[in-house]
Amino acid sequence: MIQPASGAVSSTPRQRALARLLRLVPWVLAFGVPLVVDANTSGNFAYCLVWAFASVGLAAMWGQGGILSFGQTAFFGLSGYIYGIVTLNLGDGWLSSWSGLIIGLAVSAAVAVLLGYMIFYGKIKGVFIGIVTLSVTLVLETFMAQTAGPQWVVGVARLNGYNGMTGMPPLTLPWFGGAVTLENTSFYYLVLALLALVYALMRRLLDSPFGLALVAIRENPQRAEMLGIDIRRHQLLIFVLGCTLGGLSGALYTIWGSYITPSAMGLTSAAMPVIWVATAGRKSVGAAIVGTAVLVWLSQWLAIYGSQYALILMGAILLFVVLAAPEGLLPCVLDSARWVFTRRLSKSRTFEAQKRSES
Amino acid sequence: MSTTLLETRGLTKRFGGAQVINGIDFQVRKGELRCVIGPNGAGKSTFFKLITGEHRPTQGSIAFLGRDLTHVLPHERIRMGMSIKFQIPGVFPELSVRQHLQLGLHRAKDDSAATLDRLLEQFMLQKEEHMPAGKLSHGKKQWLEIAMAVSLKPVLLFLDEPVAGMSAEETHATGELIMRLRQGGLTIMAVEHDMTFVKQVASRVSVLHGGRLFADGPLEEILARDDVAEIYLGKKK
Amino acid sequence: MTALSTLYSVIYQFGDNFAYLVLAALGLAVIFGMMGVINLAHGEFIMCGAYVTIICAKRGIPLPIAMLLGALAAACAGVVIERLVIRHLYDRLFDSVVATWAISLIVQQTMLLVAGPSMEGITTPFGSFVFGEFSFSTYRAVLPVIALGVLGALYWLFFKTNYGVCARATIQNANMAQCLGLRTDRLYTLTFALGAGLAGLTGALYAPTMTAVPTMGTNFIVQAFVSVVVGGANVIAGTTPAAAILAVIQTAMTASYGQLFGQIGLLLTVIVVIRLMPQGLGNLFNRTR
Repeated sequence: MIQPASGAVSSTPRQRALARLLRLVPWVLAFGVPLVVDANTSGNFAYCLVWAFASVGLAAMWGQGGILSFGQTAFFGLSGYIYGIVTLNLGDGWLSSWSGLIIGLAVSAAVAVLLGYMIFYGKIKGVFIGIVTLSVTLVLETFMAQTAGPQWVVGVARLNGYNGMTGMPPLTLPWFGGAVTLENTSFYYLVLALLALVYALMRRLLDSPFGLALVAIRENPQRAEMLGIDIRRHQLLIFVLGCTLGGLSGALYTIWGSYITPSAMGLTSAAMPVIWVATAGRKSVGAAIVGTAVLVWLSQWLAIYGSQYALILMGAILLFVVLAAPEGLLPCVLDSARWVFTRRLSKSRTFEAQKRSES
Repeated sequence: MSTTLLETRGLTKRFGGAQVINGIDFQVRKGELRCVIGPNGAGKSTFFKLITGEHRPTQGSIAFLGRDLTHVLPHERIRMGMSIKFQIPGVFPELSVRQHLQLGLHRAKDDSAATLDRLLEQFMLQKEEHMPAGKLSHGKKQWLEIAMAVSLKPVLLFLDEPVAGMSAEETHATGELIMRLRQGGLTIMAVEHDMTFVKQVASRVSVLHGGRLFADGPLEEILARDDVAEIYLGKKK
Repeated sequence: MTALSTLYSVIYQFGDNFAYLVLAALGLAVIFGMMGVINLAHGEFIMCGAYVTIICAKRGIPLPIAMLLGALAAACAGVVIERLVIRHLYDRLFDSVVATWAISLIVQQTMLLVAGPSMEGITTPFGSFVFGEFSFSTYRAVLPVIALGVLGALYWLFFKTNYGVCARATIQNANMAQCLGLRTDRLYTLTFALGAGLAGLTGALYAPTMTAVPTMGTNFIVQAFVSVVVGGANVIAGTTPAAAILAVIQTAMTASYGQLFGQIGLLLTVIVVIRLMPQGLGNLFNRTR
């Protein structure tokens, strides 16, 4: 993420190294998780992480680029259904499952290019981008919902209307003794590795001159244009990237649960990525990942122990965040931590200075 | 001919029934420091916006480096070698001074630290290098704006009221800065009200009045003209 | 006779869709058009009006009065929400979207907890009439007329009353309005309450025609949004022609391909309209401003 210029005295190399180390901690912990929990729980954690890709995409589009898209779940569903169609037709082999994943992503990217071209080169701005993307999502949901009849079939894969598609094979890897199915612990590691890769690449992109241009476009598009920045091209690129990540979430979700239904693209689902990213802090990719995983885990936990209150609590959290911490919870937490840290630092510096003058 | 950087022919702009720009033939040659002056309502900002591409001309044409600009989008005009500093500082409040300059330098394909440091020194912004631009004083914001425009390594620099809102000292310092830029080989066109500034920097002056080019010539010649004084001060000498 | 009754059937369908679109949209249009706030809790105000109407009617209160009480209840809820939440978000458009969505979620789920998944409704008044080989619900045939009546009343309110003048002044230039002594914060509260009350009225009017469930608001929200986006910020000159055009599209699509494609037709229209006319239809009337 573009480091906000703090205006404070620039940090020492020690402080920067410490910050970098701290950022690695969650990853180390995450990689260690399956060592302490059973396979089933790892599988559940994988479920929480699967949604994080869509949030990373949204954080990049919205937090950095200022583009609020309600379309993440459209690509989620699109990639999910494509995975289902491909694998139900091509069978259970490892080639079939990986092709399903790749083709699902490719289709999402292609649709994102078309949609993005219509939006950004058609001068659609601000809240209307949200409305158009939400409309696209609802069109997809409504369309898929009425595919119940037997004529709605691609190859041997029936689309099945409201009930959705089931029975897709999981991802497998070819191995010497026979194909290895990626599920529970191995699936968890796959998702985690992918997430780490996406995180690293996204941070590099957003810290690069491209990312800087996105911030400029977000803050003052007219001024950015007058610096020779082609606004439409930048926005289109980050939009396609963000939407494809939404598709990655969808494909992995379908692989995890072996089903996909139109309700994944409904009104409530469409708002979830926005809720997670808004709550966690949209300007930080890392915050989006952690926030999403925690919130998904929380709603799962509530669904078991207090389902009636789950959504009420989510709504209340969101409302609180919007009113009290509009930048998200993580920036709030970090700011207070930084405040405490610099106060203690200055106190200890004053103390050391005093000691030196005394001796 | 090859030294003419910008040329307008018969440039006209109408808004509804109002004829704001009336057939202006105008040229900026390489190495000049041209100031465009004129009373309020003379059409200076509209003229400016026609050149940047914010408005389309009703009639007439604008050519930059010999190329007609009618169908060229604003960001493409910048890539051709124009650079613009607007009247109201349009800095990006959360980005640091350093990041502002990086934006332009990256477009100019020169990302080196040396060039960045030289720019900071030239515009006296070394101390504020890491400060978020929203916290700069008004004068420093104007300098950052000019620095950003210069970081694009343009052929022709446009300044829209570069000393608006500045104190007398800041105005003089800005004038020195701009003259140094000209010495470095930059051609500059400025729209400005402040006559002290115009007298300090201009080589040629154009006077706009009622949407027409009223007078055009070297600084001393324009200043000596009675009719110019009249339209500005409303009195006959 | 068959041709005539088929023709009337089409007109009836159009009228039904038109009424639904207009009534669903009005509350949202008022709040968006006059305050720039996108109220995603709009559906819940509709639900509030419907529930209150049903509860009152089942207690024996005559239906028209029960409906007015429903609208009033929604308006009061609007006042509460405006004072607590909305007034902090007038300069933060994205955040008002998220906040009203959160309120919608909270209200829906709380209603689910408190009132259960559904509540026994009331029957549609006036019965039905027969024309040719079709039978039509009298009540739903009359609704378009009621919708036009509400539009007329709204027009009167905006253009012939003091409130209307003050409200329009505040919308066009809030600072100036304040300098002239108008209590802009009170005006915003009143306007939000008006939007909520209109939504409540919609819920009240449709209460006799549908089952009362806590999520009933979501049935209206797509139609509401579509009408407001196509119509633009102009409440009367925008929403009305938008609803008419959309009703035509929806009637045609439903007749040819079914209910769900009617919905798709609406959504596709939104996308096309935004692409071609980002300010909506109402802007065509605004050019002289």
